[in-house]
Amino acid sequence: MALDIKDYNSPHQPTWCPGCGNFGIHMAMKKALMELNISPSETVITFDIGCNGNGADTVGTYVFKSLHGRSVAVAIGAHLANRKFTTIATIGDGGCFHEGLDHIVNAIKSNYDITILIHNNQNFALTTGQATVTTPQGKKMYGLPEGKPERDIDINAFLMSLKPTFFAKGYSGDLLQLTDIIKKAIKHRGCSIVEISQLCPSYNRECTPQWFNENIIKLDTLEKYSPRSIKDANNIVEEMTKTKKIYTGIIYIDDSVPTFYDRLASRKGVLTEASEEVKEYNINELLKYCN
Amino acid sequence: MCTNRTIVKIGGESGQGINTVGRMFTQSINRIGLSTFSSREYPSLIKGGVASYQVDVSNKEIFTSAKKQHILCCMSEKSLHRYLPDMLENGVVIYDGEELEFSPDEEIELQKKNIHIIYLNSEKIALESGGTKIMANAVLLGFIWKVLKQDPEILIEEVLEMLSDKKIDEEAEKQCLLAGYNNPQYRDDLSKALDLPKPLQTNRKLLITGNEAIALGSLAAGMRAFYGYPMTPATSILKFLGETAHETNIVFKQAENEITAALMVMGSMYMGTRAMTATSGGGFDLMIETVSCCGISETPFVVVLAQRIGAGTGVPTWTGTGDINAAVKGGHGDFPRCVISVSDAESNFVLIQKAFNIADKYQLPVIVLSEKQVAEAIYSIEKLPTTEKVERGLQQGENRYEITDSGISPRWVPQKDFKPYIHTSDEHTEDGQSTENAEEVKAMSKKRERKMESLKSELPEPQLYGSSSAKTIFVGYGSSKNALLDTIQERDDIAYLHYDYIFPLKTEKLMKLVEEGKRLILIENNQSGQFGKLITEETSYQFKEKLLKYDGRSFCFEDILDYLNN
Repeated sequence: MALDIKDYNSPHQPTWCPGCGNFGIHMAMKKALMELNISPSETVITFDIGCNGNGADTVGTYVFKSLHGRSVAVAIGAHLANRKFTTIATIGDGGCFHEGLDHIVNAIKSNYDITILIHNNQNFALTTGQATVTTPQGKKMYGLPEGKPERDIDINAFLMSLKPTFFAKGYSGDLLQLTDIIKKAIKHRGCSIVEISQLCPSYNRECTPQWFNENIIKLDTLEKYSPRSIKDANNIVEEMTKTKKIYTGIIYIDDSVPTFYDRLASRKGVLTEASEEVKEYNINELLKYCN
Repeated sequence: MCTNRTIVKIGGESGQGINTVGRMFTQSINRIGLSTFSSREYPSLIKGGVASYQVDVSNKEIFTSAKKQHILCCMSEKSLHRYLPDMLENGVVIYDGEELEFSPDEEIELQKKNIHIIYLNSEKIALESGGTKIMANAVLLGFIWKVLKQDPEILIEEVLEMLSDKKIDEEAEKQCLLAGYNNPQYRDDLSKALDLPKPLQTNRKLLITGNEAIALGSLAAGMRAFYGYPMTPATSILKFLGETAHETNIVFKQAENEITAALMVMGSMYMGTRAMTATSGGGFDLMIETVSCCGISETPFVVVLAQRIGAGTGVPTWTGTGDINAAVKGGHGDFPRCVISVSDAESNFVLIQKAFNIADKYQLPVIVLSEKQVAEAIYSIEKLPTTEKVERGLQQGENRYEITDSGISPRWVPQKDFKPYIHTSDEHTEDGQSTENAEEVKAMSKKRERKMESLKSELPEPQLYGSSSAKTIFVGYGSSKNALLDTIQERDDIAYLHYDYIFPLKTEKLMKLVEEGKRLILIENNQSGQFGKLITEETSYQFKEKLLKYDGRSFCFEDILDYLNN
């Protein structure tokens, strides 16, 4: 039976602000799963705490709404237990680059076969607009009437420095492109990072749809760009640092790196998943390893 | 005091090969048909310091190290001075080196106790016997064997078998063992006070550490994923599971940190496998947010918390049970959990399996408390108990968080075409939707609380060791049991009430003893008597007597006797 986008919805309505970028991101995520013919009962999505986390209730797949900054590590545990599932971790820029920074670093390093969607609204929105590392320096935020004192982190350069096997940038206001990116991210065998610029009409009012339209350049409009070229990727990241423009599309992809599981010697030739293997185990053969 | 017990202590610096000598001696003694209890003391450094490997030998099962030794074999001067005061009368000291100066106090002590001192330049003897420097260990071992008047053929056979995969010159090893055994410094009077107990049986014993037993138990229970991060004294669980993964085919990952390890366990458990992590107090503190999340999201979770003594970094390679509060009360919010305490090889093996069954069936975090003393001691046992049945309590249902009388909601392993469900750290309704509604918040909290009542009714009361007519009864958990069992073998006027399950707490049996007017003594390896306070909280009973030890050393039977005699 053909899947319908409604199959990915729970009976519950979203609680996001009108105009929130999460509507677009969720629509693209569900559309991508539907177009790839991956049913809700073959999908597990882990959520962070924050505005993106409030979307957990609205999704009809297997869902784990975990802790602030921790959705990536929970997704890794879920993925290693059953790789038959498509595993997606969603996380905000605050959770990703503050509370749980080590998780994204190690997810990329280990190259688990999961997809990570970073909802970047450039602030902690659910706690009503505090600065994150992606908030521009000097911007006045909740509790910072004189403006954010520190520099912001160049997350494009940071992520590329970790040698991700899939790195893409999307925009919550471009449903078709974002759907296409998420589909490719899911299909990529390895850790796929999709960093999504997200509208936040409540706490990032400067970045209006019009502002994004003026500042986004789609990579596929460039004459010569190969996401398989590390040189092209590094050049475009440098360009973004210099010009503050946002290039969307697949920045970099490398299919040559084995996933963590592929390298796991203990699982070579095992045809089942860990979630299918729970039963009494005879340990007699292991006694020779004692003391 | 120590009837039927001969005690041999190997001392030296970390990295000098004390463990090799200790292990070889333990194995060989077991081959004769005797029982041993071996424990290691070592400082938190790689080379140097003072470390020891003590082997207590008996013809009955023993569970703790005695405080003093008959034979002390030292490879460093520092270790000799450290352990010399603990010599028993007529004992033998073997020093691996040239003649030493003793302090006047030491001289008096040596004279008074009639201690024999043998200087053995083991390295020189090894080289002269055609061996290598490293075979100096064999020379020492051979000499100890002679002092104990045992058959050298058994020693040679056992040592060569142990080294069979090491590619060593077997003839040279044998000659070094014999060179020690036949060393001319041996005199008959050395052995006079050192009759080994008569072997009672000849079954080959299994030598196993607590951590090996808990790792094996986790595998027996169908654990298929282990995520760890090194921290003494839990690290050898990680080592054992990692080094056997090629055979067990488990998913094994040394995680980036304890936070990640715990989250990975939670994610894997949600997907329906059995996963585990192991750590010590500091690592557990980092995991506690995840433990709390498992509590409200009703995700099964199993962690081994192998305790050492002290706050912060504490005394990293020494024992204690100061993390009872952390295990029972750690974490924000009220949530159900189970805390179990292991005490020896068998209980490690059995209780970790129970932990998985409880975690699955009641959908809650289970914290399995171990201690350095239990984790790293080497037990000699007949065999491990029979494997427990895997019980998961899985069933499908309409709502994942259905409100039931037992508090237990339906849970099924996520799989294609089954109804998807949410696990959430938000308070939620029966279908997992976040809620702030007062009635709903209360109803779901009450549901989880009922799981604790259901669990409590399933758990056994604590076990009484010794005679029920004894007037003096110690009450404790963990490695205290071992000191008490060794003491009860000598004295039938005391008994011991032992708790495997710390939380939820069963108190009926204890309260009956209170009513009977028994003399109850709380015994704990921590400073404040944390378990005693937990009992007070539950029953309002306050222990009048407490035997507390918090210097990093475990209880030995001498501690119990000293307490009773003073």
